[in-house]
Amino acid sequence: MIILNFIEMKNLKYLILAICMISLWSCKPEKFAPITTDINVVKQMQGTWALSKVTQIDQDASTKGFPYKQLDITSVYPYTELVLALAGDGQGNPTTFTITPGNSPKIVDLTSGTWSVNDPMAPTTIELKNGTVVNTLSVGSYLGLKSGVLTIKKDKKLNGKVLLSYQYEFTKK
Amino acid sequence: MKKLLLSIICSLTAVFAFGQGKVTFSPASFTAEDEVTITLDIAGTPLVGQTAIYVWAFSNDGVGGGKDATTNGQWGASSESAKMTMVSANIFQFKFVATTLFGQSPAELINFGFLAKTKDGSKQSQDFKPFKFDPLVFTPSQFRVFPAKFDYTDMATVYFHQDLATDINLQRMYNVKVNLTFYNEGGIAVGSKSAIVAKKESTVLYSYAFIPERVITIPAGTKLGKFTYQFTGSVKDANGQDVTTTGPVNEVVYTVFN
Repeated sequence: MIILNFIEMKNLKYLILAICMISLWSCKPEKFAPITTDINVVKQMQGTWALSKVTQIDQDASTKGFPYKQLDITSVYPYTELVLALAGDGQGNPTTFTITPGNSPKIVDLTSGTWSVNDPMAPTTIELKNGTVVNTLSVGSYLGLKSGVLTIKKDKKLNGKVLLSYQYEFTKK
Repeated sequence: MKKLLLSIICSLTAVFAFGQGKVTFSPASFTAEDEVTITLDIAGTPLVGQTAIYVWAFSNDGVGGGKDATTNGQWGASSESAKMTMVSANIFQFKFVATTLFGQSPAELINFGFLAKTKDGSKQSQDFKPFKFDPLVFTPSQFRVFPAKFDYTDMATVYFHQDLATDINLQRMYNVKVNLTFYNEGGIAVGSKSAIVAKKESTVLYSYAFIPERVITIPAGTKLGKFTYQFTGSVKDANGQDVTTTGPVNEVVYTVFN
């Protein structure tokens, strides 16, 4: 009886080992479908945009946890008269831009030239260029693009530290 | 007479120019807890050509509660810990954290100044002062500017918190207006505008937001160095008549971003 039990125990050991090995072999990395389809963000950025909101952000105050971190300055001057047109070629690559300020204060030094981005699929910066003058802006959230809202940010730095930012919100015309 | 005046002006200019030295800070703005590097160019000071320069620093110049730096030592024998590092001919650097240098808390430190000297004190520069520390804690005040740092192309908003006013006339002032004066980098007034109606944001808060080029015509090629603002308004006198009252003139220096 004891010998029989020993043999059964031995078999059981092999059986467990076999089950484990089969289980391991059956583990394969599961292929997940992409959460979204690839979106050409740069293409979405192209078009004619009207400035709808300007926010001034005191980054130093934000860092230090002070009150009065940001201020909506849209209504102080006619910022909403400013129109930004970002053009692209047939392949969707950025080409030229024009800024028609109307009576709005200027938001960058340039009013026309060429524009480019640092990464066509996931741009974080936009470079506006005309001759030797270059204005660099950063791209805000991509989420708004789908619903026709382009958010661009301009940072002002002192020794590499951002102290003041402007957030410009555009609505597609 | 004209020649005499001219020579006096030239001599004074030369003396003034000779007394200059150039100071830069890295970072350009700092709190009392930040590590700061002073870079000093001693060209044009009595120290020119020296190879061993010492810092003699002091805190809270003109505001009370000041102390000498713990590294100063004796005037006739500066401490070695006050020795500046020679970077190149006439250029010296000194690294410090203000709370350590002065043995004071951030709350105690408002500004600091320093001079450069030889170890035995036989030669020295003029005082370089006062350099304000950025606040670490927010202190509410009756006058405020948003944002804290901006240049003359930026929008600035000046505020008057009437509930924080200490002067009785300012506490009861109404028909609140703002006077603005703009100065170039040399400190010369280049434009002003008075009696601009302030925006009443609430019963106790007035403001005025502006971009200088929308307020004055800035002369071509001029960069603004600072502006002053002053809130004014009316109060009733004993006979119920309107009397003009004015707040203090507040100065704001523009930041030069890089």
